[in-house]
Amino acid sequence: MLSSVPHTDTIIVADLEAGIGTLTRLPEQAVEHTLVIVEPTPRSIDVGLRAVQVATDRGQGSVTVVANKVANDEDDARVRSTFADHTVVAVPADRVVVRADREGASPLDFGAESPAVIAIGELAQLLTQ
Amino acid sequence: MIRIAFAGKGGSGKSSVSGTFARLLARRDRPVLAVDSDPLPGMAYSLGIPVDDHPTPDDVVVEGPEGGPKWVLRPGLDAAGFIDQYAAAGPDDVRYLQFGNSWGHWSTLQRGQHAWSQVVREMDPNAWNVVGDLPGGTRQAMFGWAKYADVLALVVEPTAKSIQVARRLRNITKAEWSPEHVVVVANRIDHPDDVQRIHDALERPIIGAIPDDAAVTAADKRAAAPLDDGSGPFVDAVEQLVDTVESSYDAVS
Amino acid sequence: MRVAVVGKGGSGKTSVSGVLARSLARHGHHVIGLDCDTNPNLGLSLGVGDLETERLLSLRDQIDEGEQKHAHTWADILDAYGTDAPDGVRLTVVNRIDNPEPD
Repeated sequence: MLSSVPHTDTIIVADLEAGIGTLTRLPEQAVEHTLVIVEPTPRSIDVGLRAVQVATDRGQGSVTVVANKVANDEDDARVRSTFADHTVVAVPADRVVVRADREGASPLDFGAESPAVIAIGELAQLLTQ
Repeated sequence: MIRIAFAGKGGSGKSSVSGTFARLLARRDRPVLAVDSDPLPGMAYSLGIPVDDHPTPDDVVVEGPEGGPKWVLRPGLDAAGFIDQYAAAGPDDVRYLQFGNSWGHWSTLQRGQHAWSQVVREMDPNAWNVVGDLPGGTRQAMFGWAKYADVLALVVEPTAKSIQVARRLRNITKAEWSPEHVVVVANRIDHPDDVQRIHDALERPIIGAIPDDAAVTAADKRAAAPLDDGSGPFVDAVEQLVDTVESSYDAVS
Repeated sequence: MRVAVVGKGGSGKTSVSGVLARSLARHGHHVIGLDCDTNPNLGLSLGVGDLETERLLSLRDQIDEGEQKHAHTWADILDAYGTDAPDGVRLTVVNRIDNPEPD
């Protein structure tokens, strides 16, 4: 379905299944960008490495790694050094996101000025440059 | 014998809880088989088994009969023999059976998955206490991948998404298939109100409340087993969970 | 432009997708949030709430069971199986549940 979308000015943000299942089944060149979200833990990075590989092999546009829930410089460095060949955007660990998650709400409605929301806003600008 | 499977949203802590549970159960002189049906395995880490890449050799299976499964265990190899030879040996004498392997070639993965399914289906239910880690979400639970279990434990964090996924899982157990007992383990609890909130949303017995413990987050970042950092709020709470399960859900064999 | 968002369960994939979609919309773009997860909850991170998120899931399940007439065009799908989220984002839930049992 994603690959059959008419080419318009519309931006489609497709939240795929957790893991890499959907990504491996997606037709080649179905998207212009792939965002790989990783937490700074080995297990999450493992899945991220696998996702980057699949997205690259199957031509799923430019690949950007989003280091999420980054709590300190060590977390940031770990993701950047693992994905040294890719653009890495860091999103800080943020209490606003934790609170929004508890309540089932959008982080934007809890604090539009919070560090994570600002970082994702910058990501939005990067994608549309 | 205790036969329990842990399910829940991805990231809710299933692997940490199930791996620690398996080892603490094994310390009580029980033979424990840990079965990980996630193709992106996490349970090895929490068991403290230094393998995340533990493929089953291709020759454990042969092509199945016409109209049956594509691959079956080779003649002369039964479930007990498979576990004996191919389940990884972990700390506290836990044996670990991994479902396929996403990093391997697809054909290897598929053979490993068939072998895993047959072993879990055919093993002697009285030979092992079984602790299972289902992949995140509802897919496998929905299709009856936890049929070895008498107890399905929904691991739930106090977040809307985690509660929502657990509620969907509970609804599946109402509509499609269910182990004898469907219970809830509340995880990463930092307010007493959270347990009540989870209980109100799910209306199933809460058999454990595990506090948020920074040591588990730290262990995650090192890919270490929480149990190998010694005791702490998390390990103590899982120990209590083992007590509860032993006293209430130990199937008489 | 199409953007796919992937990651391990619990990595914050859906939170990032939701905030990203609304940020793009606030910058004046026309944005569709496409929830392809077997456990769809992008609705929560977009801010449409629990009940509406569950309603979309039940619509999707009806498609899977063939109870609803299949919508064939994009416009049909967005119209029939979508909902309006804040900042003008249109959310729709599309994934089918595949039987993961090895065949």
